[in-house]
Amino acid sequence: MNPGALNAIVPMACVAAAGLAAMMAEAFRAPDERMPIAGLGLVGLAGAALASIALWGHNASSFGVVVADNFGLFVTAVLIVVGVLSIGISGPSIEREGLPAGEYYALMLFAISGMMLMATASDLLVIFLALEVLSLAVYVLTGIRRTSSTAVESAFKYFLLGAFSSAFFLYGIAFTYGLTGSTRLDRVGSLVAAQGMSPTPMQLVAVGLLLVGFAFKVSAIPFHMWTPDAYEGAPPAVAGFMSTGVKAAAFAAFARVFLAALDPLRGEWSAAVWVIAAATMIGGTVVGVAQSNVKRMLAYSSIAHAGYLLVALLAANDVGKGAILFYLLAYAVTNIGAFGVIAVLDSADRPNDQLKDYAGLWNERPGLAAMMTIFLLSLGGFPPFAGFIAKWYVFSAAVKAGYSWLAIIGVLTSVVSVFFYLRIVVMMYMTDTEAPARFPGIPRIAGAALVVSAILVFYLGVLPTQVMDWAAASIATIF
Amino acid sequence: MPFPILTSIVALPAVGALLLLLVRGDEQGDRLARQIALVVSILVFAETLLLWSRFNPASADFQFVERHAWIPAFGISYAIGIDGISLMLIVLTAFLTPLALLGSWESVHRRTRAFCAFILLLETAMLGVFVSLDLFLFYVFWDAMLIPMYFLIGIWGYDRRIYAAVKFLLYTMAGSVLMLLAIIGLAVLYNATTGEYSFDLVKLYALQVPDHLQFWFFLAFALAFAIKVPLFPFHTWLPDAHVEAPTAGSVILAGVLLKMGTYGFVRFAFPLFPRAAVFFAPALATLAIIGIIYGALVAMVQPDMKKLVAYSSVSHLGFVVLGIAALNAQGVQGAVYQMLNHGVSTGGLFLIVGMLSDRRHTRLIGEFGGLKKVMPHLVAAFLIVTLSSIGLPGLNGFVGEFLILLGAFRADAKMAAFAATGVILSATYMLWMFQRVNYGAVTNDKNRNLPDLAPREWAVLVPIVALAVLMGVAPNLFLNPIAPSVDHMLSQVQQQIPARVRADGGPAGHAVALAGFTHPEAARSAIARIEGSRAETTR
Repeated sequence: MNPGALNAIVPMACVAAAGLAAMMAEAFRAPDERMPIAGLGLVGLAGAALASIALWGHNASSFGVVVADNFGLFVTAVLIVVGVLSIGISGPSIEREGLPAGEYYALMLFAISGMMLMATASDLLVIFLALEVLSLAVYVLTGIRRTSSTAVESAFKYFLLGAFSSAFFLYGIAFTYGLTGSTRLDRVGSLVAAQGMSPTPMQLVAVGLLLVGFAFKVSAIPFHMWTPDAYEGAPPAVAGFMSTGVKAAAFAAFARVFLAALDPLRGEWSAAVWVIAAATMIGGTVVGVAQSNVKRMLAYSSIAHAGYLLVALLAANDVGKGAILFYLLAYAVTNIGAFGVIAVLDSADRPNDQLKDYAGLWNERPGLAAMMTIFLLSLGGFPPFAGFIAKWYVFSAAVKAGYSWLAIIGVLTSVVSVFFYLRIVVMMYMTDTEAPARFPGIPRIAGAALVVSAILVFYLGVLPTQVMDWAAASIATIF
Repeated sequence: MPFPILTSIVALPAVGALLLLLVRGDEQGDRLARQIALVVSILVFAETLLLWSRFNPASADFQFVERHAWIPAFGISYAIGIDGISLMLIVLTAFLTPLALLGSWESVHRRTRAFCAFILLLETAMLGVFVSLDLFLFYVFWDAMLIPMYFLIGIWGYDRRIYAAVKFLLYTMAGSVLMLLAIIGLAVLYNATTGEYSFDLVKLYALQVPDHLQFWFFLAFALAFAIKVPLFPFHTWLPDAHVEAPTAGSVILAGVLLKMGTYGFVRFAFPLFPRAAVFFAPALATLAIIGIIYGALVAMVQPDMKKLVAYSSVSHLGFVVLGIAALNAQGVQGAVYQMLNHGVSTGGLFLIVGMLSDRRHTRLIGEFGGLKKVMPHLVAAFLIVTLSSIGLPGLNGFVGEFLILLGAFRADAKMAAFAATGVILSATYMLWMFQRVNYGAVTNDKNRNLPDLAPREWAVLVPIVALAVLMGVAPNLFLNPIAPSVDHMLSQVQQQIPARVRADGGPAGHAVALAGFTHPEAARSAIARIEGSRAETTR
């Protein structure tokens, strides 16, 4: 075998190796010994980053089913950012709640390697495999607070619904195989294109089942039910990780399957995606308004953002090609930042995740309040933050592609979403607290991760050109 | 490369705000923060005066232009420059900011450092709005400006401040997001026409926008601007925001923020979409007149001075919109002049109300009475500012209102007649308020020993009064740089329309306007018909 054939899987191999090392470290750790296990993860991610840089532009392919094209590598880069920031903000929860650090980081790293595989897979079965690798790790992470009944409940719910959606996805793959005799995306694409203009019922069933499977994973309405519960029960750092990493990986595969392989059937799926996108934007924001738990609120916000990403997917034209990738990155740094603030405030006896817990945060921790404000304003789409450029990019693509109504729904739901983001700001800045000093101190690493997120949010909002160019060039490699 | 003076003006307040981050948060630091902010804002004002002295008033072109590529893939650039209209508004902004800071010198006790930082950030965003020559850049400043104002109202405001702050932000944002889509639509259209993307205002001015798109785009822009102005019936956020905002917030809100709406009409909505602008001008004028009269009537019955001044703003800004909608040189010049006047007079009124409220912690007219005997100096300044707001000849308000009414009369005598009643009403409510507060016997014992103007308050009011007089007696000093820009804007509008189209009377015009929503084709043919009939009558 040609040794170069393994190149494409080097990034995920680095991360998986770090995960294995973390597991071993946990096994050999004395009960009270402190080990820099998080450091192992960072080393693995750094290796993945170096490998990705080396692979950039080479279109390396392994076994014909994993393709490290620039599209996959851009998503890999997003996942590395997600991984580094997630590990950065995980410290407080692990220390304060006594979570098993080795297991935690190992699971997180395995999940990341699964996500990377999903982003670069070019075969439906490998996508499924990747989906399972990442999902299993994330199910366990959701319930890692074993003693908490809400955590166990939410993990179980997430697991059941996730398994359900995997079945849909697998069934879709089976139909696609039945139609084309292949699970390789390039062959599926050419065979579907060859089957002519009028779609057969089989094709519709296959496309529909795949769409449902992806919609579950990106938490699009009406397949979103698991999201608020899972986020509420998971430790905040895990919720931030899930909301960004899983979404990035799922959207990468979604784009690869639908924009590349199933593009000939665009006429059939575009209407369905249109409806799902509109429902997701509207539902996510409207229900988000009614939440009093910050994590649930951010869960609905993450649903709404899935809607914007679906708009980007639908409108992927010459303007909008890069929009989806840029949005994934902008959303990732912003949302991990927001969950990071929750994670820092989270303590063993008090989750500090109710809206009213944020009263007077400005007086106690002005820096933290300022950063939370930056993240929330970015989520709401205010300039000069990353979220504004990302939304502008998506809506430009939508207008250009003729989806004006989706763009109108998008901007109006953004206004509604600003209302609930502001509720947190109102609490932090404009509401006085009765009982001061309930907030734990800020660990240095987590603080640094938050500062890095905030800087990235500013950077992408003020000087987006370079990243936009990369994003546009990357997605050009798949269609 | 010449010194980028405009960039330095826009950036200086933001740099000052960053500087404030270094100041300690204790009491001493608060005092230092206030001083730094004041010095920075005065420096900015000095720089704008320097800019004015170098400005060529004979030219209608954009001057001091700076262009740098920002997001080249989409033709977005950091393009800034000014003409006479924006010059005057920049000077106004820089003039009012130090006064607003001085006016809040003692009424803001807590978190002074953050307060000053937000005021300075707000100044940067406001200046940015007035200098942007790129629609994307303009939108960034336009939206970014909401954030500091939101915090100013929400943190340092009065009792219902949170409600007012959230309402202000959501209301304004809801209006502007559709404008964002229209901006994107324009760029996409430009791309379809020329093959490249551009958000550059100068390039987009030259774009021929098809009629049905003009309708939509103009409506989107006009909604954003009408909410900001605020034009009746989009004014409901304004009384809340004004009443709950701290004095500095009210001064800047009334003095500068509202002008962004009218400035938007003059700079963007009218010249970019001239045919739609002409089509909608009568509707805008009608709303403006309703606003003039409605605002005045509601102001008359307000027991709270701040609310009274807030509603008077609705009325006065109605005049500005009326002048713009008149679409002739007098009207638009008067409108721009009235923007400046309103900034000076209403800014002054809010500062004075703030001084009274600092002394008595109430703004209810009924709580006062006979102040003239207690505080002769403050009342003298109050009188001059009140008269300037009413439009007494010899003071600034007169010039603007006169020009606007002249312009409106030339466009449509009926409209001028209705609008003129607003002048009378404004005299009624302002003088009645002034009389109840300042004349008569001192009925409330709490008012007996109020101190007169402190040196700091002298420093606030003297510039306002001096400017009110100067603008009243030497209007040409200010009108000269404005006139060429206004003529240029009108010629841009008229280039696409040979003669002014007056959508035949109110009801018919509205029917056509409504048709524009659902049947762009019908609307287009209606315009053609109206234009045809105009052409016949002129023949």
